[in-house]
Amino acid sequence: MTFERRVRTAILTAFAETGITPSPAGIAERLGSEMERVLEAWDRLREERAIVTGEDGVSIRMANPFSGIPTEHTFQSAGVRYYANCAWDALGIPAALGRAGTVRSRCAHSGEPLRLEVTEAGPERCDWLFHSLVPAARWWDDIVFT
Amino acid sequence: MLFFRSEDDLRAWCGERGVEAGPMVPVPQLWRLSRVWYGSRLDPEAPRPTPGEARAIFAGVGLTSPFWDPVPRQEQTP
Repeated sequence: MTFERRVRTAILTAFAETGITPSPAGIAERLGSEMERVLEAWDRLREERAIVTGEDGVSIRMANPFSGIPTEHTFQSAGVRYYANCAWDALGIPAALGRAGTVRSRCAHSGEPLRLEVTEAGPERCDWLFHSLVPAARWWDDIVFT
Repeated sequence: MLFFRSEDDLRAWCGERGVEAGPMVPVPQLWRLSRVWYGSRLDPEAPRPTPGEARAIFAGVGLTSPFWDPVPRQEQTP
């Protein structure tokens, strides 16, 4: 496995274990690696769209399906709250973790809260709809807006 | 990418913004997509899908319209 792949896996694993956004220093410690090498991998992962960073170029804004900053879309499981980037990722997190829990979001028009129990087999019956305003070919034109 | 409790809410939201509604995806279909798209995301050996694979994943859960094509046809190399 390439070092870059190890860093990506460590980032996702850190999110999965804690729900907290990992830092380059934390990933370097987790891998027993030098910070400079981790930062080089960070840059490549950003170029490959495996992560999206904030304006400082370092803090993780997105490592799909996990969000590095609080959002209105969450998944709660085993005492950990995970922030999702969007409605899709709110279901993407339980799919990635393979764990039961509770998705919380809201209707973008009415503001009505959504509380959705999810088991390993999938979400409970729900008549709500998911909608993307941006077509797939344009998602990465502005992934944060998407 | 947002949730709406009904089609009426979605159409009202789009109308207020003067935008055309895209495809509406029911939650069970979104779950099927999520399982395929993200189910192996924590696997260190699992590669991220190529555009062609992404297209196949969307089609596999019934999302077949051009809206879901990750590379517009006119931009693809012959």
